[in-house]
Amino acid sequence: MTSQTTLLADDASCPASRSLWQLGWQRLRRDRIGLTALWVVLAFVLLALAGWLGLAGSHWRDEVAKPNMPPALFKDYGPATVELTAADIDAAQQHNTSAADASAATGMSAEDDPLAADMAAAQTQAAKAAPLAVTPANDSLLILGSDSRGRDVLQKVIQGTATSLLVGLSGALLAILIGTLLGALSGYFGRRVDDLLMWFYSVFTSVPDMLLLLAFSAVMSRGIDTVIMVMALTSWTGTYRLMRAEFMKHKGREYVQAADAIGASHRSRMFRHILPNVTHLLLVQFSILTVALIKYEAILSFLGFGVGVSQTSWGAMLAEAPAELLQGYWWQMAAVTLFMSLLVTAFSMLTDSLRDALDPKVK
Amino acid sequence: MTQASPLLSVRNLGVSFRMESGEHFQALKGISFDIAANRTVALVGESGSGKSVTSMAIMRLLPENNTEITAGSEILFEGRNLLQADRRALRALRGRDIAMIFQDPMSSLNPVFTVGDQIIETLMLHTGMRRKAARQRAVALLKEVGLPEPDRKVDAYPHQLSGGQQQRVMIAMAIACEPKLLIADEPTTALDVTIQQQILQLLAELQKKHGMAVLFITHDLGLVGEFADEVIVMRHGEIREHGPLQQVFTQPQDAYTKALLNCRPQLDSRPARLAVIDDFLQDQPYQVPPQRERGYAPGDDIVLDVQGLCKSFESREGLFGKHVFHAVKDVSFQLARGKTLGIVGESGSGKTTVGLTLMRLHQASAGRALFNGQDILAMSPSEFHACKRRIQIIFQNPYASLNPRFTVEEILLEPMTLHAIGRDHAERKQLAAALLDRVGLPRRALQKYPHEFSGGQRQRIAIARCLTMKPDVLICDESVSALDVSVQAQVLNLLQDLQDECGLSYLFISHDLSVVKHISDQVMVMQHGQVVEQANADSLYANPQHPYTRQLLSAIPQGWPQQKGTQVA
Amino acid sequence: MLAYILRRLWQMVPTLFGVMLLLFILFNWVGGDPSYILAGKSFSAETLANIRHQLGLDKSLPEQFLIFVQQVLTLDFGTSWSTQQPVADILGSRIGPSLTLALPMLLVSLLLSVIIAAIVAYVRGSLTDRIVTLICTLAMSVSALVYIIAGQYWLAHKLGWFPILGWSDSLATNLWLYVPLPLLLGLVVSLAPDIRFYRSCFVEEMNHDYVRTARAKGLSEQVIMLKHVMRNALIPVVTSLMMSLPYLFLGALLLERFFGIPGMGNEVLNAVDRSDFPVIKAITIYVALATMLFNLLADIVYKLIDPRVQLK
Repeated sequence: MTSQTTLLADDASCPASRSLWQLGWQRLRRDRIGLTALWVVLAFVLLALAGWLGLAGSHWRDEVAKPNMPPALFKDYGPATVELTAADIDAAQQHNTSAADASAATGMSAEDDPLAADMAAAQTQAAKAAPLAVTPANDSLLILGSDSRGRDVLQKVIQGTATSLLVGLSGALLAILIGTLLGALSGYFGRRVDDLLMWFYSVFTSVPDMLLLLAFSAVMSRGIDTVIMVMALTSWTGTYRLMRAEFMKHKGREYVQAADAIGASHRSRMFRHILPNVTHLLLVQFSILTVALIKYEAILSFLGFGVGVSQTSWGAMLAEAPAELLQGYWWQMAAVTLFMSLLVTAFSMLTDSLRDALDPKVK
Repeated sequence: MTQASPLLSVRNLGVSFRMESGEHFQALKGISFDIAANRTVALVGESGSGKSVTSMAIMRLLPENNTEITAGSEILFEGRNLLQADRRALRALRGRDIAMIFQDPMSSLNPVFTVGDQIIETLMLHTGMRRKAARQRAVALLKEVGLPEPDRKVDAYPHQLSGGQQQRVMIAMAIACEPKLLIADEPTTALDVTIQQQILQLLAELQKKHGMAVLFITHDLGLVGEFADEVIVMRHGEIREHGPLQQVFTQPQDAYTKALLNCRPQLDSRPARLAVIDDFLQDQPYQVPPQRERGYAPGDDIVLDVQGLCKSFESREGLFGKHVFHAVKDVSFQLARGKTLGIVGESGSGKTTVGLTLMRLHQASAGRALFNGQDILAMSPSEFHACKRRIQIIFQNPYASLNPRFTVEEILLEPMTLHAIGRDHAERKQLAAALLDRVGLPRRALQKYPHEFSGGQRQRIAIARCLTMKPDVLICDESVSALDVSVQAQVLNLLQDLQDECGLSYLFISHDLSVVKHISDQVMVMQHGQVVEQANADSLYANPQHPYTRQLLSAIPQGWPQQKGTQVA
Repeated sequence: MLAYILRRLWQMVPTLFGVMLLLFILFNWVGGDPSYILAGKSFSAETLANIRHQLGLDKSLPEQFLIFVQQVLTLDFGTSWSTQQPVADILGSRIGPSLTLALPMLLVSLLLSVIIAAIVAYVRGSLTDRIVTLICTLAMSVSALVYIIAGQYWLAHKLGWFPILGWSDSLATNLWLYVPLPLLLGLVVSLAPDIRFYRSCFVEEMNHDYVRTARAKGLSEQVIMLKHVMRNALIPVVTSLMMSLPYLFLGALLLERFFGIPGMGNEVLNAVDRSDFPVIKAITIYVALATMLFNLLADIVYKLIDPRVQLK
């Protein structure tokens, strides 16, 4: 047997053995852009975590500043604000009451007015309650400015990051889980199972994503849970197709046939043998989906179908932008655009680098 | 003998590639050789020898972004240094003075253009012919390369032709402008042995007729014996031997060449052990081992008895129709204990399907397979599970038969866990380590991943995996076909040793007739799914009865004619 | 070929059935009782019962499904819940504006992205390539919303180069006056991902063996790119183009909403706002049908341009 042992004679100085994942990680480390992107994404995730746990951005609902104040550094770039004094308000009210008195004479009598009873009850209730102490608006400027209700844009944007990332990551995760399970069953078992699942797939793909999202949103109530579920239900199809093709391909490969020859069960072959060989593709797919879902969420929330009123997200913030822009208030939109672009760019570059590192092909 | 200045002169050619890790890999370490006009030079080497790199370097086809040509390298074609020629000069040269054909004709032809268009393109580019004239010339070329019905085939798309026909089209394209040098990079490796012979004959004829020089690149030294004038042997980026054909075959100077010549199984001798490269790298001269007798004896115990095995595949056609393809038709044979049955045939003969069906990786359509008296094809899956450890298989592709994500230890332990071999994890690890010793790999290999091993080493791991279950029958499905000749010899020796020690019975499936004769006791020849002839190895090769068997045997490349019967020391 | 088409049409039936089932489950089951919405302010029990009867909601679910199937087969979805117009009329009037915007946008986008992608693939690895790819990545990271809001604000409101929004009855006025700004903004959104995708198609083709053969024949890089590679790369490009055609019907949702273009996309948004189920259902069915038909068309075109394809 001397001939065989000389083959590995140089092994004495061999470096430690590396799995394919470790090799991929090495490749990623060498890619400076990819590594930077990874750090940026991780920073955002940490920020989002802080937002979820209430460590940052939790006071976004507090109206702490004067409305529509520009950011601290750009305070000369906002339109001049008009301060209303108490005198102005009194004068306006005077004018209104005189007009109201005039119409009261020609208004409806209490018997005709269907809401008269309810209004009277409401007024007596209101008289009972004491008004909340109003925190005086302070003059100091915020880093990113304030919105039309005097809320801190920075806090909002952080909270928005948390919401958007939560929706993006969990939606993507759920979509990948559904798509992988169904795709694995479809690709591995084929025949009837495949026919059934492909029918399912064709139904979901014959309706464009946006339309399906809207249809789901039309019947379900607003809120983060709905958004996550709706997104998962519409985006599993890409992963399904990918996994189906991969499982079909790998099933015919010799190492799976060898596992069959040894006596491995179906479950073992699917999840112990094939799945570890496709998880790198799933990671890339996860990255792509997260970006897509973050973008979709913004559009949905903008249109009014996404997160509820008690939550804020990037889309909800952008919904306030057109009205603000008309008056010249640009900073809320700028803040959202900055944060979102940074995250999406970093994620996209990370996706590219992951693909090159884990699934290398000739450039 | 004085020679006129050579057509192609390579001087100190060094090529290195920059890897993604930043390191440099030296593919060619300063090689020099000449090719004279009208001569056929064979460039022989195993994988990693640098032979393909050489041919691509001559044509300047190496990818520019990571290739570095060592300073001082020269490639002189008719006196001009190609390494310094500008792009336009190179383009004028390619296809007109130097032409090239590649290994895989299917992927080398553009799938969306007809073969005629692709030949016409070359003609119009280099000779300035008009389209009509070029088309006539294309038809004439196709006729010259032996393509049937050339006036119809000229409008065919590449995928409508067979592999051999595609290669003929590539050759037609290459000789269209009467090149002075034709580089053929492993043109027959992907083809069946009978087609291979036809293509080689075609090349030899064309070479004589057009007076071209041919640089023929191959890994198989046996191929070149019939038509090369000179032979160059390469290993690890260096030239080990260079000389006229007769001299290289009868009086090789270099130890590696001697090893290459000897480690290939021969049709006329069957040593007890095949030579391997290390045998020649030692100081003592190589001693030819004694011959080994093979054949079924009358009193042999039959371990596997296959009767009337059939397997057909269905596919859908038209609106409601079905198309049935009979891969295996009524195959019967017997495998004796401790012996080897070789199944031989070309692609499409159904030999691989026989092996896969016996393993129940395919569902047999009909027939029985009696293993120790029980019909394994009729058993339920759970009953067969218990039998699985007795019949195992080694696949052809060593790069695909091991799970890339498992360590060697996990690969070896999995079957043991499934069949409850060994009391606990520690004992199984011991067994795995012992098996690695048995197949000649270090124990360190347990922690490594498959991608860290070469093809031959991976086949050993696959063999070790089968041995964990102590099978009775081992099906070797083209298990050595993807390996280099020297590595093939090592693996064949290993299989032989295991058979002697453990009494394993082999079903050896291959298209390589010399290998099959070396390792088999009985041989079965298959064609189009049917058994054409079946006999003891020696008698079948000495006296083939069926015309197809005779055709197969005559197509085997013979090497240097006078080598028959001699072992070179 | 005919047998293939027939078989594909036959296979569409279960898919259409599935879409109907999905919509039915969504709108008739999950969606709950829409009678409150339609009753408006006066919701006495009598009115509600009346409405339910009119809509057929007092019948059992399987019966309702059969009615729905009948509606689909006759392509008569009844009347809109919010405007009382026949749904067919509404859709008929909306498709024109959608196409007026979407078709020119598709053509211009296709032309520009293929040309730029080809150029960039030709010089792959160079500085130009990397800069363009970087610009595309950055451009893709900005939400479409931002482009549209900012574009509308700057180009229309501030600089006054285009009308802020609007639509007219004349095709010429639309194409000249009202389409350019949304078209421009739509281009900005769609060019970047298209360029990246087409570039990767081209680069992948360039790595195939037949390119090596073409070089060995002495062809110049330009000829290889324009003749050999393009012809092969056309296949994924055309396939992707055919796949995106059904989206024409939906119109550019956001653009229509922002610019007040009375197209299908705007209609869908309005319908969802008002919980106008018949309109949503009708649009979804039509778009699903269009998608299936275009997929079939895509496969047939695929067969025409790729000689290797055998339709089964």
